[in-house]
Amino acid sequence: MTKYFQSFLVGLQSNLVYRWNFGVRSLFWFFHLVVVFILWGAAFATSPSIGGYSFAQTLTYFVVIFVLQFFIGAFNEDYQISEDIRNGLINQFLLKPINYFAYRLSVFAAARVVSGVFGFLALLLALPFFRAYLDFPHDAWRFFLAVPAMAMTAIIQFSIAYIFGLLAFWFLDIQGFVILSMAIENLLGGQMMPLDLLPHPIFNIVRFLPFFYQAYFPASIITGRQGLDFAVQGLAIQAFWAFALVCLAEFVWLRGLRHHTAAGG
Amino acid sequence: METIGHYLRIWLASARYSLVRATMFRGDLFIWSVVELLWISVNVAVIFVIYSHTKTVAGWSQYEMLLLVGTSMLIQRFLMGFFWSGIFEMGRNIRSGLFDFTLAQPGDPLFMASTRKLELDGLLNSFVAAALVAYSAWRLGIHPGPGAIAIYLCMLACGVIIHYSALVMAMSLAFWITSSQGVEGSYFTLMEFSRLPREAFGRLASIIFVWILPVVVVSNGPARELLRGFEPWWALGLFAAAMGWFAIAVFMFRSGLRRYTSASS
Repeated sequence: MTKYFQSFLVGLQSNLVYRWNFGVRSLFWFFHLVVVFILWGAAFATSPSIGGYSFAQTLTYFVVIFVLQFFIGAFNEDYQISEDIRNGLINQFLLKPINYFAYRLSVFAAARVVSGVFGFLALLLALPFFRAYLDFPHDAWRFFLAVPAMAMTAIIQFSIAYIFGLLAFWFLDIQGFVILSMAIENLLGGQMMPLDLLPHPIFNIVRFLPFFYQAYFPASIITGRQGLDFAVQGLAIQAFWAFALVCLAEFVWLRGLRHHTAAGG
Repeated sequence: METIGHYLRIWLASARYSLVRATMFRGDLFIWSVVELLWISVNVAVIFVIYSHTKTVAGWSQYEMLLLVGTSMLIQRFLMGFFWSGIFEMGRNIRSGLFDFTLAQPGDPLFMASTRKLELDGLLNSFVAAALVAYSAWRLGIHPGPGAIAIYLCMLACGVIIHYSALVMAMSLAFWITSSQGVEGSYFTLMEFSRLPREAFGRLASIIFVWILPVVVVSNGPARELLRGFEPWWALGLFAAAMGWFAIAVFMFRSGLRRYTSASS
């Protein structure tokens, strides 16, 4: 356990080197929030309620998605893993008593601490503009269910990025796959719009997919878009996906190692 | 005339090289085409979902909005197809010193750097974006004559010039700062504004995103020309913005080039 804690500490240091990148990314996200504000503000101008929610509730949803992305979202872990494989850096992990998944997870946690702080700072700066539009529910149970939901969201986000990164065992360039998955995750994860606005039959299919638990699910608990029964059922489905994806990651890792050739001394 | 012929021959040689390269990596071309298609679909899906809950956004109906989004995507696909790879690599090459090779080539460095590669996936998907515009126009009962289509295409060209200039400016920052990694993200974030109708912007947002940064005019100008007929002020404004932004981009690139100190090693 100590070695992974040390990896976490090293991860903190190396991610602080890229603090400006996180700062710039926060700024871009702020602009994205401005786009959301203008688009949805114009949509709500003629309809005081969309999908049963007010403009303030909808904007609150997007702000929470913004914060979640910085605290528990996978950014470029897939790229880092693929680079480890392509450059042969993965070889050093094969020779040491260290689990690559656990090592990468500890580095991911460190990166999210740093990016989370920057995201939070960006939010504090933007708060004077958005404060009047924030509308949170006050049920205590939401907090207690949101914590495990966010933890499992982090595991799902990381596992999907990890699996895509491992595709480098088979493909020279995985960037196309990564951006392909990003498009799917953006839509079915609820980053482009609250998923409860989808037609009901489609929503009922999407809620059983892992992408649903990448952002929308914890955000819907926090912002009051879903009730207690739905949240409890959702936690069970999310736990299944978190477990299944970790198993799949291990399976892909073992299959990938069969393909891997460690050249050089 | 001889100079134009010279540059045309260089561009044709680059196009031929890109075509051969794309046919060599057919799987890559397929994946990236699917990626681009999926991103277009994601944006269209969001429009459909929003309009399933409201009739208008800032006075724009669903198919007017689709025509606007299609126009914005058409401009972006042209930029991705004709210039993106070259300009993106320019930023990296300036940092690594590989830009020396561009300077040694027989032509203007900006032309040589930005026309080095064509991306067929972007160009293929421009047909999808064009089909989206045509379908929206058909649903709206608009039947533009050859003159209106010619003006629309000229305005699209102005839009591509503005996008190109913005990207050249962003990448030219590499002459001044040591790491411009992620700067391209600023381009994508700003271009999100181009999918919004001009009428959705409030007073302050109009000053920034309509008058200072022409990101809204770029797509709204051509779309309005099809929807509402020829409006001279929009056309002149777009032309002036294109010329102005291109002049600033060339000036910035040349100023940066004077600072370039070749390979550092």
